[in-house]
Amino acid sequence: MSRLVLDGLTKRYGHLTVVDTVDLTLEEGEFVSLLGPSGCGKTTTLRMIAGFVPPDAGRIEMNGQVISAPDNIVPPERRGMSMIFQSYAIWPNMTVEENVGFGLKLRKLPGEEIRRRVGEILEVVQMSHLGKRYPSELSGGQQQRVALARAIVIKPAVLLLDEPLSNLDANLREEMRFEIRRLHNEFRITTVYVTHDQSEAMATSDRIAVMHAGRVEQVDAPHMLYSRPRTRFVAGFIGRTNLIEGHVAGGAFGADGLSLPTTGVEGLDQGGPALISLRPQSLAIHRAAPQAPEGHPVMRATIAERTYLGESWDYVVRPAEGGLRLRVAAQPLDVHEVGSDVWLAIDPRQVSVVAA
Amino acid sequence: MSDGVLPRVTPRSSFRARLRNFEPITLLWLLLAAVLLVLVAFPLIKLLISSFETREGVFTLGNYATAYGRARYIDALFNSLKLGALSASIAVLLAVPMAWAVSRTDMPGKGFTWAMVMAAFVMPPYLGAVGWILLAGPNSGFLNITWRAITGASDPLFNVYSFAGLATVIALHSFPLVFIFVKSALDLVSSEMEDAANILGAGTFATMRKVTLPLVWPAILGGFIIVFLETIALFGTPAIIGIPARINVVTTQLWQFFEYPVRMEVAAAYAMPLLLITIAMIGVQKLMLSRKGFVSQTGKGGERRQIKLGAWRWALFGWCGLVGTLSVLLPLLVLLQASFAKAWGRGLSLDNLTIRNYRLLLFEHEMALTSVWNTIWFSAAAATIALVLALLVAYIAVRRLSRFADALGFLAMAPFVIPGIVMAIGFYAAYASPPLALYGTALLIILAFAARFLPIAYANANAAMRAVHPEMEEAVRILGGGRLTAIRHVTAPLVKKALLGGWLIVFIVASRELSAAVFLVGPRTRTMSVLLYDLSEAGNFEVLAAFGGILLVVTMVFVAIGMKLAGRDFMLRRH
Amino acid sequence: MILISKRDFLRASAAAAALGAAGRARAQEMPAHERTLHEAARREGELTWYSGQYNAETSEAVGRAFTERYAGVRVNVVRSTSQVAFQRLSQDTRAGVAQCDVFSSTDFGHYSLLKRENRLLQYRPVNDEQLLPQLRRADPDGYYHTSFMGLYLMAHNTTKVSEADAPKKWTDVLDPRWRDQLAVGHPGFSGAIGIWAVQMRKMYGWDYFTRLERNRPQIGRSSMDPVTGLNAGERSVGIAVPSGTTLLSAQRGNPLRLIYPEEGVLATLSPSAIPRNAPHPNAAKLFMEFTASRYLSDTIRQTFGDPINPMVEPPPGSRAINDLKLIYPTQEEAERGVPEVRELWRDTFGV
Repeated sequence: MSRLVLDGLTKRYGHLTVVDTVDLTLEEGEFVSLLGPSGCGKTTTLRMIAGFVPPDAGRIEMNGQVISAPDNIVPPERRGMSMIFQSYAIWPNMTVEENVGFGLKLRKLPGEEIRRRVGEILEVVQMSHLGKRYPSELSGGQQQRVALARAIVIKPAVLLLDEPLSNLDANLREEMRFEIRRLHNEFRITTVYVTHDQSEAMATSDRIAVMHAGRVEQVDAPHMLYSRPRTRFVAGFIGRTNLIEGHVAGGAFGADGLSLPTTGVEGLDQGGPALISLRPQSLAIHRAAPQAPEGHPVMRATIAERTYLGESWDYVVRPAEGGLRLRVAAQPLDVHEVGSDVWLAIDPRQVSVVAA
Repeated sequence: MSDGVLPRVTPRSSFRARLRNFEPITLLWLLLAAVLLVLVAFPLIKLLISSFETREGVFTLGNYATAYGRARYIDALFNSLKLGALSASIAVLLAVPMAWAVSRTDMPGKGFTWAMVMAAFVMPPYLGAVGWILLAGPNSGFLNITWRAITGASDPLFNVYSFAGLATVIALHSFPLVFIFVKSALDLVSSEMEDAANILGAGTFATMRKVTLPLVWPAILGGFIIVFLETIALFGTPAIIGIPARINVVTTQLWQFFEYPVRMEVAAAYAMPLLLITIAMIGVQKLMLSRKGFVSQTGKGGERRQIKLGAWRWALFGWCGLVGTLSVLLPLLVLLQASFAKAWGRGLSLDNLTIRNYRLLLFEHEMALTSVWNTIWFSAAAATIALVLALLVAYIAVRRLSRFADALGFLAMAPFVIPGIVMAIGFYAAYASPPLALYGTALLIILAFAARFLPIAYANANAAMRAVHPEMEEAVRILGGGRLTAIRHVTAPLVKKALLGGWLIVFIVASRELSAAVFLVGPRTRTMSVLLYDLSEAGNFEVLAAFGGILLVVTMVFVAIGMKLAGRDFMLRRH
Repeated sequence: MILISKRDFLRASAAAAALGAAGRARAQEMPAHERTLHEAARREGELTWYSGQYNAETSEAVGRAFTERYAGVRVNVVRSTSQVAFQRLSQDTRAGVAQCDVFSSTDFGHYSLLKRENRLLQYRPVNDEQLLPQLRRADPDGYYHTSFMGLYLMAHNTTKVSEADAPKKWTDVLDPRWRDQLAVGHPGFSGAIGIWAVQMRKMYGWDYFTRLERNRPQIGRSSMDPVTGLNAGERSVGIAVPSGTTLLSAQRGNPLRLIYPEEGVLATLSPSAIPRNAPHPNAAKLFMEFTASRYLSDTIRQTFGDPINPMVEPPPGSRAINDLKLIYPTQEEAERGVPEVRELWRDTFGV
């Protein structure tokens, strides 16, 4: 089990800086996701950790020793890590057992021990009955399990996963993400997980590092990312939200017809311009004026658009005063016609301030 | 809990650490660059320099003055261009209907057509030329005799000893190149394209003319250019048919410059247009193919159905059958007859049958078996060298292991634009004389073959490499295996089959190579193709035909091995 | 695997041939000078013969006969037209490579040139004295020695042209009625055709060829190419064809007949020589002894070659040399003339 430190890690391709002074520390046994849209530099970061890509600046330390620096690269094969690739990279010329046992063979373990450990790990990933098969005879999910087994069986210092579930269909993806977390709970290997799928990251990770344009925007536990996004990008990327620009003055946040008391909202104590994130779940639509608790603003509004999503309604409402358009999530049974006049209630506890 | 078996991580930057972390790949690409320079760049540079030097090494323009100083030499140049254009046109006419029929329609006998195309491709062109002399000699050719007997005409149906005859014989052996180009392009045209035209009222043939063929015209043009270039660089057929027909072309003229006194410098100067034309044509082709909106770029998706032709399908089959008969069956038949004849002029009769010609070659001819052996091992060695080189370059290029990867790839592809005969002269200029003095050695021929066919090997190796996802290797490395371990256990087994196909293609084209070989062989290093060429002037067509038969058997054995190991269509895939 | 079996095969067959040949050679009791040379040649093991004189089949037979007589010395026969053989030798020289042990060409000019450039080994075969008297001492200095007497004449296909209609003289073929029916070799390839062209020019001027061109002869490369054309009836009359190849072809059933032109039969008395840098000089010297001996003449007679050793009868169908009128240019004329007629030919015929 290892502690991994990324310190000012930077990678450029020509004029393009794809990874920009990334700092990140993984504690022993921690599971951290790198989350971001494609092109944000998360895979490059992962490949730098693996040793496939040399950094242009900064360094990576494992257990206090430098393994990557611009002029000093420990090659991947000497890092004691293992990795699960987007394409799985299951070797088609070897059986499942040979695939899984390959890393152990490279470590020159005795044949008896290799067989034992391969048997054990195949048991863990529920693939014991398919050990003699060739990869071409396996389904996508089964190949994924082989890749997992192959990576874990060597008991790596660090486990790296590069979008491992992106080639699976939706149901299997859900099943595998719990499988990955289960294996982590069992083996406690320090893990870096790259994905662009936030629900995947949330389901698996201890912490998530959200990346954007080569930089780490915020590193936090999943629920903190959702409820307390600290940048405009994170707020917009994690879940859906209403970003509202306004002004704090006299104990209230005001923006184009909307007014929120600042009491109870962290970070809104100073005057001046501010940007807040208002989750659709923190807004409620009522046919009549609701009995709102103290400090929960209530206002008249009109339904502008609606989309039925099955699990919920997605409304866009226009407060009667000002030009704001706000997204609101509502229960499937809360049906309102477009154009109807309604009341809107806001729960300020779910309001978070985003760095403007 | 990490396994302690792995070496500990290295401490920060020290010389030893750097040395330990050094990738042998750097050394490899330096080595490759050196080898490619020796094989490809140096002979060409030497050729260019020689063309501006006297034998003593003094700068002169005299070689160019000599090379272009006589009307006869200039005529030969124009003859080559005319011949190339005519052969390429005929090849397009032959091949396009076949490609359309095989790719798009319900024509019967597609397997037969494939076999014919393959056979025409494998058959050495000079052998076909000999067959056609027997078939279409104006007075004695079987075709003309039959024609006269049927029609009572006094003029021959077809005179092989003519410009048209020469062009046709060349086209009959180069049309497979057009076929491969056009068919693979047609395979990508979605039937919806044709449906759209049909729905607007166009019939099957109007659709083909107005929609389908225009969509693949870059492929047709590409095929045309390749045949054109093959033709102007061809030596054997023009020497065998062109001299009696009194047609002098660039390649036979180049050969004359090698007569005593050997005027290699003049030959170098005279070879330059061939080189320039080839480079220009390949450039034009690239430009054409890179234009957007054609099938080669956008042909994905859409379903493909066979067009129902009704009775017309038999007409198309007739065409394919005719081309197959003319290019393969008839020449083979007549060669076979001659090879078993005491006197081929007496035609088919029992008392004219003999195996003497084969016996002579196999048991009495001192050089025949040696040349078979030479051919096999030169071709095998050349194919191996070309493929190993191609593989290493492709590896570096595909995995982008060096900043100079593209330059290496370019060098490996460069011989594609060098006509074989020009390359041979370059090799002669660079390596025949001391200090290396490779003239007459097997090594010179092997290296020349390897360089000449490097592009074929490279195209194969590159495609094979691309098919192996880099993560396959990275998975080995992250688990603790070095790059060589990854190559040995994963990459090599995965590309094995594709490379075998590539090896065999190089082997087969090398085994029939004449244009380059004829300038480089020594007395002990004659190949089958050169010996066949020598035999063609020995006044004994029976023995010549028998030797052609042996050559074909040898080739077929290797083609059969290739089909068995690398798939039925391994020679006709387009990379 | 193929490599081993092939080598073994060659070695085994060579050994078998050596065994059989050794016995016979002893019976034929080799003269002392040959025995000495044989000992030395055997250590060299082989020789390479650039053969531009005899046709491919005969050259191979000569090679085999030599090895049969002198066990343990293999002949590497490189048969081509004489000009191509000389081209090879020139390329060797240019590349600084020594490969050729015996050089045989029908173009006399080659020898004068090689001798002048001091590229030949001086050696007079003891057996030279056994040759036909007029063939002995081809070179007073002993740099080259007659190894071939080629008779070049005309031939016709008897099914297409009757004996009565066939041309009788070299000039008869200029008649327009032979248009599209003639075949001839090429002086750019064939040494004999070069000599013939020099002789025709000497007798009739270059006009002979401009008129010949109007009859559109089919042009082959070697002097034997027309024989192939005659066999099949592609052409009716062959000009300057070698008597040996023609007779051999006729004997196999091809409808051919020789024409002895009234002006005379072109004779090329062609020598062989040993290059100064020959890698197997003793084997080469032994080969020279062989060519002068009756054994070469015996061998070439089987394929209708004309013997150069008086102990051997002319082949069936061939006239004895003493009954023939022979024409040939002088050595000097040949040496100067061949390069000239080659260029003239290309200008006249276009190839």
